Amino acid sequence: MSTTSQKHRDFVGEPMGDKSVMALSGIGEILGKKLEQQGFDKAFVVLGQFLLLKKDSDMFTEWLKDASGANSRQAGSCAQCLREWCDAFL
Amino acid sequence: MASTQLTDEELFSELKRFGFTPGPVTENTRPVYLKKLKKLREEQQQRGSRAGKTRNSGAIHSSSGGGNTAGSRPASHDVTHLSSSRRPGRKSSVLGFSSDESDAETPLKRKGLNQSRRADRSPGFPQHPMIRPTTPSVATKSQYGATLNSNNSSPGPGRQRGVLLGWGVRARSSPEAEGRDYDESGDDDDNEGEKEKNSRSLNGCGASHLNTSKLAGDYSDSDEEEVGGPGVGDQQRERLEPNVRRSHTKAEFAYHVVGRGSQTGGAARQVNPPEGLNMVGNRREEGEGGEGKRRDSDTPGGLRSHTVSPRKTIYVSLAENHGGETGKNNHVDGEDGAYRSSRFAIGLRPRFSNYSSLSQTYRSNHSNHTAPNHSYSQAMLKQKLSVPEDELLQQFKREEVASSGSFSAHYLSMFLLTAACLFFLLLGLMYLRMRGSGSSEVDEVIKSHPFGSQFDELYNKTEKDLILKLLLNLHDHLAQVAGQYDCGDQQHLNRSLSMAEAATYLRAQNQEFDGFIETSLEWIIRTGQDVGIRLTGQVADDPLTDVSEISRLESSHPKMPFTCRFRRAFLTVISRVSLIAVVVGCVWSVVCYMRYRWRREEEETRQMYDMVERIIDVLRSHSDSCQENQDLQPYLPIPHVRDSLVQPQDRKKMKKIWERAEKFLAANESRIRKETQRIGGADFLVWRWIQPSLSCDKTMNSKVWQGKAFPLDRRNSPPNSLTPCLKIRNMFDPIMEVGENWDLAIHEAILEKCNDNDGIVHIAVDKNSREGCVYVKCLSAEHSGRAFKALHGSWFDGKLVTVKYLRLDRYHQRFPQAQGCSTPLKASSLHLNTTGTMNTMPRLHHRGAANSSGFS
Repeated sequence: MSTTSQKHRDFVGEPMGDKSVMALSGIGEILGKKLEQQGFDKAFVVLGQFLLLKKDSDMFTEWLKDASGANSRQAGSCAQCLREWCDAFL
Repeated sequence: MASTQLTDEELFSELKRFGFTPGPVTENTRPVYLKKLKKLREEQQQRGSRAGKTRNSGAIHSSSGGGNTAGSRPASHDVTHLSSSRRPGRKSSVLGFSSDESDAETPLKRKGLNQSRRADRSPGFPQHPMIRPTTPSVATKSQYGATLNSNNSSPGPGRQRGVLLGWGVRARSSPEAEGRDYDESGDDDDNEGEKEKNSRSLNGCGASHLNTSKLAGDYSDSDEEEVGGPGVGDQQRERLEPNVRRSHTKAEFAYHVVGRGSQTGGAARQVNPPEGLNMVGNRREEGEGGEGKRRDSDTPGGLRSHTVSPRKTIYVSLAENHGGETGKNNHVDGEDGAYRSSRFAIGLRPRFSNYSSLSQTYRSNHSNHTAPNHSYSQAMLKQKLSVPEDELLQQFKREEVASSGSFSAHYLSMFLLTAACLFFLLLGLMYLRMRGSGSSEVDEVIKSHPFGSQFDELYNKTEKDLILKLLLNLHDHLAQVAGQYDCGDQQHLNRSLSMAEAATYLRAQNQEFDGFIETSLEWIIRTGQDVGIRLTGQVADDPLTDVSEISRLESSHPKMPFTCRFRRAFLTVISRVSLIAVVVGCVWSVVCYMRYRWRREEEETRQMYDMVERIIDVLRSHSDSCQENQDLQPYLPIPHVRDSLVQPQDRKKMKKIWERAEKFLAANESRIRKETQRIGGADFLVWRWIQPSLSCDKTMNSKVWQGKAFPLDRRNSPPNSLTPCLKIRNMFDPIMEVGENWDLAIHEAILEKCNDNDGIVHIAVDKNSREGCVYVKCLSAEHSGRAFKALHGSWFDGKLVTVKYLRLDRYHQRFPQAQGCSTPLKASSLHLNTTGTMNTMPRLHHRGAANSSGFS
């Protein structure tokens, strides 16, 4: 687990509640802004999208790359973060 | 495929068709799913087009063919449709051609092959220039053209090319181009044969086409093992035949391609059954074809240049997997060798090695044949005959060849060895003979004598001869006598002859000797050289001056019969050798003995040290237990120690070691004292352990935190803190704890550890719990979570602390006083409050430690 970032650990460690989309691992200010513009203003909305894509990491990363212009690493990190969150709390 | 026209449901179903279950298609997920669909379609097309592309170098026709045949079909089904569409056409053509095949192979195989080939070839046909238009091929082509692209003007070569391309050149477009140029040299027969085969194979394995195409693709990319099981092993094998044939035609050797092809096909078949990997067989076939071609290239020199290039084109693609054979093929020609090496870049290692070895065998048989291809085909026929035998037999043959080679080498070495032995034997014999017989000296003696020129002046020739002959006779006789004497022949009692005996003998030889005896003897005396006759006087070792003093004559060159000589020499040699051997043996045995002794010594020393250590351990533990238990005597009788350490059956063996250990302890161990004590009325020599126990350090490491055992992560800790109450385990051992306020120390320690977390409101140490439990209540779950992180997995006082959450109500049940606690506890305050206590603590601990030192 040493490869996960602090952000990841923070997000995955507790229910996301009302956290902003920028609390997601891999999503910074710029990407977060872009997502918010598209209507994904909260982390749980992105979670919704993740769930809509049947928790498929590949699909989600594709979508995230398209929607926010994230690169593979960022999208992968976000997907992993969400996946683990789901494992822990869903 | 216009993606915008797809509705959500259509997109959904399309994705489903690819075997991918999508989630709901919403406005957000739609673009993603469209991309996915596109990717899936591309993949399918790629799979289909890969076959097509490799099929034809230009890949134009493949796509067009694909487009023609599968215009409205989804790309994924292109290939299958293509193949299926081709299948029926093939079948008929195959049947039509079966009669043309002079090959003994079953039409079924060809059918399968043709079918597989078909899909590959048909697109390729139009592209290739016609080399030899033949009517049957044209007819065939037209058939195919109907199903495929219609530009099949060059059936034969085109097909060949298609075959070639389809088969091996899938991955390579450049070789194909070259090969295409080369097509002109193709054979008609081969074309036909190929055609038939192609059609048949295509007919036969429509399903396998995909596989084969895939395989072809894989073939270029990966090893032979990639050939998965399309389930049409036969068909794949049959595929070999057209490949082989094709290769043959490519090489355009004039030899009987069909026959050869059949042979190779047969070979392939033979070879394949064991493995079922047609790829492998194909490769071998290719190699075989290459081999054959190469051989044939020897004959038609003019063709060689032609063959090289097409071969190269063909085999570069095909021989990706023939790498293993490079070395083997090198022997053929420099050119060919190079070509071969390029050809067999990758290879079926095991199979091909077999094959190539076999072919090498044959090659070696026919390497010098400049006979026409006919003879080569004969060889191939012969090969075919052998091929039907098991692969093992092929291997066996190869081994035979190898063994014959080694056999001759073996013979050679034996021969050399024998020659050397004989030489030395002869040398020895000659030496013996020389030594034994002075016959060679005979003439010399007559001609040259050691008497000097005076001799010559004094006497005339006859006298000289007489004297010399006399001397010679005497010499011989004496030699004989001496020899016989030396050999153990008891005929003569003495090695030497007395004067009278000598004189008698000489007179007996020749009457004329009589007068010259003394003169000759005089001359012998006069000359100082050794003429082989030794004259001794009455008194031994006196130099003689006069003939009258001579009493005995002895030969200094005894002549012994050859066997006697040999025997003596032999005995001498043997004795000397045995002497040396004995000496060497003695030295070696001495060395061995020394080594053995040295090892024994080491072993014993090691055992002694081991024993000493055990004794020390026993004594130390005994003294420790004595400290705990004051009833025990602090010393142990030596015999008791020995008997407790050494098993009864070993006592005799270990006696020596034990004694050594005892001595060692007495001399080198200061912590053990030997004394005499009276135990139970009897005097015993005892050992007493006199080292005070090292118990001081125990106080040092009590009640401190010693680091974390593992990092806390999601795996070993709950992701979020559940309750504000914690139960901490394994912080102490109630039995071991001594002192009044060790629980306060525990409090202190916990607070100290969580000093950043000012949310701990209550701590309770369960003094009676065996597990060393401590209960902690925090202000909130968040605080407890922090405390959890800080405490869980840490080392405290040498124990691993674990934490878990407790339900709040239970906690309150247990510790009702905690319900009211809401002020965070501080370590410093505790510390301040208990400074007095703390000061006494170390002492208490020390005392306790001193007490507990025995517990260790």
